[in-house]
Amino acid sequence: MMGKLLAAEFMKIKRKGIWFLTVLGPVGVVAMQMVNYGVRKDYLFGQNDDRWGYYLDNIHSFTPLAIVLGIVILTSFMSSIENETNAWKQLIALPVSKMSVYLSKFTVLMVLLLVSSVLLMLFTIAFGLFLDLGGEIPYSGLLKYSFYPFFAALPVLALQLWAATVSVNQGVPITMGILGVILTYAGFTLPDWLIWKWPLLLNEWNEPLINVLLGIGAGVLLYTAGMIDFARRDVK
Amino acid sequence: MLSILKSEWFKLRKSKIFGILLVGPLIGLGAGIGANTAETAGVMNEWYMLLIYMNLPYSILFLPLVTGVLASLVCRYEHQAGGWKQLLALPVTRGKVFAAKYALILLLVLLIQLFYLAAIFGAGLYKGVPDPFPAAIIWKSILGGWVATFPLVALQLWMSVWFKSFAAPFAVNVVFTLPSILAMNSEKVGPYYPWAQPFAMMYPAAGTGDIFFIPWGQLLTVIGGFFLLFYLGGYFCFQRKAV
Repeated sequence: MMGKLLAAEFMKIKRKGIWFLTVLGPVGVVAMQMVNYGVRKDYLFGQNDDRWGYYLDNIHSFTPLAIVLGIVILTSFMSSIENETNAWKQLIALPVSKMSVYLSKFTVLMVLLLVSSVLLMLFTIAFGLFLDLGGEIPYSGLLKYSFYPFFAALPVLALQLWAATVSVNQGVPITMGILGVILTYAGFTLPDWLIWKWPLLLNEWNEPLINVLLGIGAGVLLYTAGMIDFARRDVK
Repeated sequence: MLSILKSEWFKLRKSKIFGILLVGPLIGLGAGIGANTAETAGVMNEWYMLLIYMNLPYSILFLPLVTGVLASLVCRYEHQAGGWKQLLALPVTRGKVFAAKYALILLLVLLIQLFYLAAIFGAGLYKGVPDPFPAAIIWKSILGGWVATFPLVALQLWMSVWFKSFAAPFAVNVVFTLPSILAMNSEKVGPYYPWAQPFAMMYPAAGTGDIFFIPWGQLLTVIGGFFLLFYLGGYFCFQRKAV
């Protein structure tokens, strides 16, 4: 059942600009550094002898914002497929459980974000090589900066998917998302327990892996809570 | 025209609009209360420091992004179940409907700015800022930020009339707003980038003789020019739209 639901979901997101946005996110994050390095390459090279590390830090200055905003946009898109035409009833009337419908939406979103993360890694390497940063390519750092934010952002994904599916008025989840991205933007001054801070990979122990584990744990919890609420709700 | 505006308001009144209007000022209030402004005590008026701290999250991200939400909200009923047909079947011209929706969004942004003014005042009172309240500077900042959203609101209304979903106009908005974090640091690009203008027009710069914190030339060409471009784009898009 899950396979067919997933196939249906992937069918529904075709030609809606969703794949385009999935590619645009990582392109945008790297393009921002293309502009940054294009304008003041010599200055940035002089900032730090570890040019690869400094370059990755620069890339990472936009990744969390892009990932949180990307989540807001994609979750709203995913639920607007049914919301716009009041198709929730039709979807739920099929011989599928509500939980598996919710799971299929979440899975599609995770796949989209993972594709984004892979692309981010590839574009980061490509532009890094183009810049001729010298020395070894720091593969472990590259993997860390490309995939850790995705795992750390899972709670935000679970929360936004729930908000977008249960809200008739999409202005509500999007405004929530704006609040969230501002918390990410100002995250370095905020306490560690805020889920929007986690994609920044900052914490008081200076260990990004904690954010990944917290992200997966809290993500599963929030996802389960959202799914149970969705399953108990009336379909309007 | 007034009656169109009135009916637009009735449609909006019960759509959770007040919560959405209050989010930004509350973010500002939080940033203001959390800010450490005491370090500048005695050097410069602490209210300036407070304003700068509060403006950072508010004028760079919140204000440009919320224009998109408001524009989509104003078009929400029309996109549902043939609302455009019903609205345009009335004895109104499309141009007037577009203008009324635009004016309504501007009024909502002005309301947000006024709430934000209250948030600045509230944060200052809470912290017990001893300096005199620089009313002229703060009003300049509030009204300047409002004027800076004119072109952004026009583009977002264009996108909201065009796309049915909330997410698509919001995506356009995000794509243009995020680079302003880089653009505002650049002396070359910053003054010409429309999405960086709310920050520029709200940033208190003492000693400028102009009415706002950016030169008149920049105001007229960048804000005025992009306003005309986006408004006319949206206007003609709406004129030709099949309902």
